[in-house]
Amino acid sequence: MGQREQLELLPGTLDLLILRALVRGKMHGYGIAHMLKVTSADVLDVGESSLYPALQRLLLNGWVTAEWGASENNRRARYYTLTAAGRKQLSAERADFERMVAAIQRVLETA
Amino acid sequence: MAKLLRRFRYWLHRGKMDAELAEEMEFHRAMLADHGGSPAVMGNTTLSREDARAVWIWPWLESLCQDALYAFRTMRQEPAFTATALLALGSAIGLNTSLFTIFNAVALRPWPVRDPSRVVLVNRFVREGGGDFGIAEYRYLAQFSRSFSGLLAIHNGERVKMQDHPQQLTYVSGNYFRVLGVQMERGRGFLDQEDVAGAPEAVAVISYELWQNRLGADPQIVGRNIRLDDTPFTVVGVTPADFTGTNPLRNDIWTPLPARKLLRPNDPSVQSWLTSPKFCCTPMAGRLAPGVTRSQAEAELAILIDQFRTDNQMGVQRPQIIATGTSWIEGPRKKRQVVPMILTLFFAVTLVLLLACANIGNLLLARAAARRREIAVRLSLGGSRLRIIRQLLVESMLLAVAAAGLGMAMAMVVPAAVFRRLAEEQAFHVAPDLNVLTYTIVVATLSCLAFGLAPALHGTRGGISAALKAGSESEGAQRARLPLRSLLLAVQVAISVTLLANAGLLVRGMQRAQALDPGFDVRNSTVLSIDLPASQYTGPRTMELTRDLLAQLDHSPDQPACGLALNPPLSNTNYITSFQLTDQPGSPMLHIYSNEISSGYVAAMGMRLLAGRNFVPEDTARDVVVINEAAAKRWWPGQNPLGRTVLANEKMRQIVGVISDVYTNDLSSIEAVIYFPIIGRWGAPSIVVHDRGAASLDRVAAIVKRIEPQAQIRAEPLTANFSRKLRPSIYGSELAGLLGLLALAIASVGMYGVFAYVVGQRTREIGVRMALGAQPRQIVRLVLGSSARALVCGLACGIGGAVALSTLLSHALPGIDPLDPVAYSSVVLLLSAAVVLASAAPARRATRVDPVRALRWE
Repeated sequence: MGQREQLELLPGTLDLLILRALVRGKMHGYGIAHMLKVTSADVLDVGESSLYPALQRLLLNGWVTAEWGASENNRRARYYTLTAAGRKQLSAERADFERMVAAIQRVLETA
Repeated sequence: MAKLLRRFRYWLHRGKMDAELAEEMEFHRAMLADHGGSPAVMGNTTLSREDARAVWIWPWLESLCQDALYAFRTMRQEPAFTATALLALGSAIGLNTSLFTIFNAVALRPWPVRDPSRVVLVNRFVREGGGDFGIAEYRYLAQFSRSFSGLLAIHNGERVKMQDHPQQLTYVSGNYFRVLGVQMERGRGFLDQEDVAGAPEAVAVISYELWQNRLGADPQIVGRNIRLDDTPFTVVGVTPADFTGTNPLRNDIWTPLPARKLLRPNDPSVQSWLTSPKFCCTPMAGRLAPGVTRSQAEAELAILIDQFRTDNQMGVQRPQIIATGTSWIEGPRKKRQVVPMILTLFFAVTLVLLLACANIGNLLLARAAARRREIAVRLSLGGSRLRIIRQLLVESMLLAVAAAGLGMAMAMVVPAAVFRRLAEEQAFHVAPDLNVLTYTIVVATLSCLAFGLAPALHGTRGGISAALKAGSESEGAQRARLPLRSLLLAVQVAISVTLLANAGLLVRGMQRAQALDPGFDVRNSTVLSIDLPASQYTGPRTMELTRDLLAQLDHSPDQPACGLALNPPLSNTNYITSFQLTDQPGSPMLHIYSNEISSGYVAAMGMRLLAGRNFVPEDTARDVVVINEAAAKRWWPGQNPLGRTVLANEKMRQIVGVISDVYTNDLSSIEAVIYFPIIGRWGAPSIVVHDRGAASLDRVAAIVKRIEPQAQIRAEPLTANFSRKLRPSIYGSELAGLLGLLALAIASVGMYGVFAYVVGQRTREIGVRMALGAQPRQIVRLVLGSSARALVCGLACGIGGAVALSTLLSHALPGIDPLDPVAYSSVVLLLSAAVVLASAAPARRATRVDPVRALRWE
């Protein structure tokens, strides 16, 4: 149990966020988690229990590839790169997500 | 598709992938620690890793493994059920697999040669009988045929002595090993110049087995001499271990065709056999030339045979030529005789398998009933019905797989043992191969579905609430729903009755065959065979011996009736001669069974002279013959054959007598036979003595010894030949009996299971009845009555099935009466005994139910 209340991610959105994070270039797992945390102003704290299965899922689907490299503090780290299929998936999922959010928003506002 | 490939790649490198994942997560933790986070936030690392890894594995595969594990645990918890089911199914699958193993080894494998699909056996069918080819004819065909890259002549079935042991020898054409593509273990095959009729060469190829077992695997064997019937032959080659020859009998030695002259130096017929166009009976095979089809080759051979017969003034024959593959099942001649037998056998073992399936189906049904509550709970907790059916099917599959393992184990042992018992000289590799494995898997899968599906569907249907409420089955509702159980019981009874009844009919048929009158006096006759040292005994001397025997045996008044014959009755050899009706113009050259006999033979055998006269001693110098009744009826129906002349064995001969028919070759049919007066040209005769007493046999033996001191004499009662011929039907009825008893045993276990189940389910009702004063007898009747309908239905269907099956069988095996009352009543008795046995323990338990406890129950 964390000390702070964590927001639960909507199912499926973690994959989308990881893909989005990789648009700028290759990153390792910790980097992705760190970036999500920073850019969401500490709201999204993704633990390895959900991050690594998600990364494996993306590898399986061929949306990212992985290679080993040296990290900024000179340790061996696995870097993930977005593939062309991953880019396509990102834009499709993003469109879906935006439609979904807009729809939810509309429902909430009328209620 | 790409996804599947990635999964597969992951699976291949799963060890490395796992290590990488672990390292990656380790890095993550380290980074987190560096940046002031606490590892505790990370949660359970192992679990996370498991989750990440699970992405790659099919979820259903994983749950299938769980199902299997669960099934395994369930099976271990119920050892009695598991053992019963495994034993029944294992033996049933084992039977099927064993039969298929034998069938596969005997019937499905082609000759062990290079590219066997292009090698064909050339079969010739002639309306008048007499098949295969003369060697002169073969040479003509081999010379002119363009359809074959090589034609072979293969003359089987000669026995020669080597180091005092009989060995099987085959005469082959010079191109035999070359055309078949046999890679010699040592030395070479034959050369064409070793296969020239005028210049026989004493060369031999020996089998790997003979080389290993009799010749000490001598590495210098090629070029060495071996003695075959005391004639020296040079070994030129040794066949590889996997070449077992081209006939069903194991073959030890091959020589070129003309070498027969060396082995039978004084037999003038060998020269004719090698060169006369009128000889027959050498099988021919060939390797088709590239691109030539079987029918093209058949057509070409038919034309060439016509030309050959025209060239040799032999008249038109119009034989039917059929080229077939070399596996046994493809031979058209054998097919007609044996295929119904094989089908019946497969049908019988399939019935046993079905029986086992019905049995296990019933056991599973009883178990599903016991697990109703568990299943109901799972259904109510949201388990899908499909998922539970799958679970139950996985349990069945596990059973089937284990049983298939048992079956394969049986297939490794049983067929070899059967072969050792039936025929030690067969050349078949009976070890199970890929075909057998495939067959076993198919059989196991089908049987798993057969016994598993119905109980699984049956067990998962019906309302959840009812099952949960009642706890166990409510008796009234369940009795109405029982037909599946009764049906399965009836099936078991029906199948075991069918098999048992047929076994009974076969045994009765065999008894009848043993009592069959073969046309001669089996019980009181003895055959003396004379063995002579082959090297010293050549044509003229066997003729002298025969003449002396004729003179001395016929002129001793204190002798029992005795006679000489070239071929004693029911031996394994047949003599066939050419035959033509000269008084009917244009009649073709035929082939007919022949024998040579002395005048005393008819009396010694207990045969009768029907017309004309018996042979007299002077007939050895005359061209006269005697025929049997079958021959007279066939060619001179309603006429008198006496005094007519026929062309037999290349000479004009007059018919002087007709004698009664006997079963000379086998016990299934009477053939037309022509008898020549015995001269002894073909070898030493056998003596048939109408007596079994040692004293008179010794007297006859003493006469032979006086004439030829070196002779070795073997006495064998005719009953020995007779029972040798009966052996197939004896084995057949033994096998049927075994199947029937196995079926009855499995069905008894099934009946026991049902009775025990009924008692278990109706304990309360029985308790109430006992409390109300029911007698034990009435309780027993209650238990038995619960299944009476199924038993009676099964019995009726079984008898119906038995009548149908045995009617089919009686076409293949004469002597079977499909309505034999003795067989059927003994089956009913056996079944009743089985019912009593199977119900004894459950009935006892029922009569001991304590009313008080039974009522307090639940």
